[in-house]
Amino acid sequence: MGEVEGAGSETAKVRPIQKIIDAHVTFTTTSAIHDFLKKTPLQDLINWGRKNSLWFLTQPMGCCGIEMICTGAPHYDTDRFGIIPRCSPRQADVMIISGYITKKYMPALKLLWDQMPEPKWVICMGDCSISGGPFWESYSTIINTEKYFPVDIYIPGCPPRPEQLIQGFVELQKKITAKQDRTQKGDT
Amino acid sequence: MNTTGELTLNMLKEKFQVTEMRVESPNRVWARIAPDKILAIAKFLSNELEFDHLSSIAGADYGEALEAVYQITAYSHGIVLTLKAKVPKSNPVIDSLTPVYWNAAWYEREAYELLGISFRGNPNLAPLVLPAEMMGEYPLRKDYKGYPNPT
Repeated sequence: MGEVEGAGSETAKVRPIQKIIDAHVTFTTTSAIHDFLKKTPLQDLINWGRKNSLWFLTQPMGCCGIEMICTGAPHYDTDRFGIIPRCSPRQADVMIISGYITKKYMPALKLLWDQMPEPKWVICMGDCSISGGPFWESYSTIINTEKYFPVDIYIPGCPPRPEQLIQGFVELQKKITAKQDRTQKGDT
Repeated sequence: MNTTGELTLNMLKEKFQVTEMRVESPNRVWARIAPDKILAIAKFLSNELEFDHLSSIAGADYGEALEAVYQITAYSHGIVLTLKAKVPKSNPVIDSLTPVYWNAAWYEREAYELLGISFRGNPNLAPLVLPAEMMGEYPLRKDYKGYPNPT
């Protein structure tokens, strides 16, 4: 009880100083720094770093998930593009929606997306995630992924081959270099 | 016990109301029964005729009536017995088989949320495969209107 009173009196002492700080000093914020960097050529260097470390979230959702996992395996060696599979959303930059999204699964997928740190991108892999695929007229399938996630790349196929997925990544790298991806356009 | 499928059907017909029955092959038979007799029949099959395995419970929509389809089989003699029980759509209530076959609880939950057949006596008719907000819509019924229409 005494500690709480002490803390209260301390903030009472600090408060006039805070008023002076607020009046005369302007602190910068992280987003202000980011906005400033976007206007400088330094952003190209940042983009070069980002596009060469597109770590994707290993989160297979359907039969496309098999192709996605095998893309991360040694045979295709995606490490040469800087593409590495990660098992935690905290370490991932790209979420590949690799299958049908059911209404029951949507909250979990949204949670994974929210757990990923910025900057982040979405790749729709396969017909199911683009339009519902063979399940498009079902009572439980979400057919408008665009409404829920800022999708940058669509890879059609049922399922697409690993080469197509790698090409999708390369297209995403081109988009990041050209500053046309939705994270940089502020379209998220 | 060395029963054939036909013998099983005859024993069922003697003891319970069997409205319709057919022998598909020596060990695959089916019978249409009165819905209020299902628990008594299951007890009889399990205790007297060694039918110790409930394979599945399916459901069907016939417009005016809903039908629960039970596949009951046995490890010892291998007869696959299909029981069909029609319940009216206005009051689709049927006895749960959980006192006899423990795994019936899962099939009944699925049939309940997809078709709306209510199983009296099931300890937990909670959502299983549907999201909770879709409960009560019964998407596998013929008159379900909730399908997406993107055109």
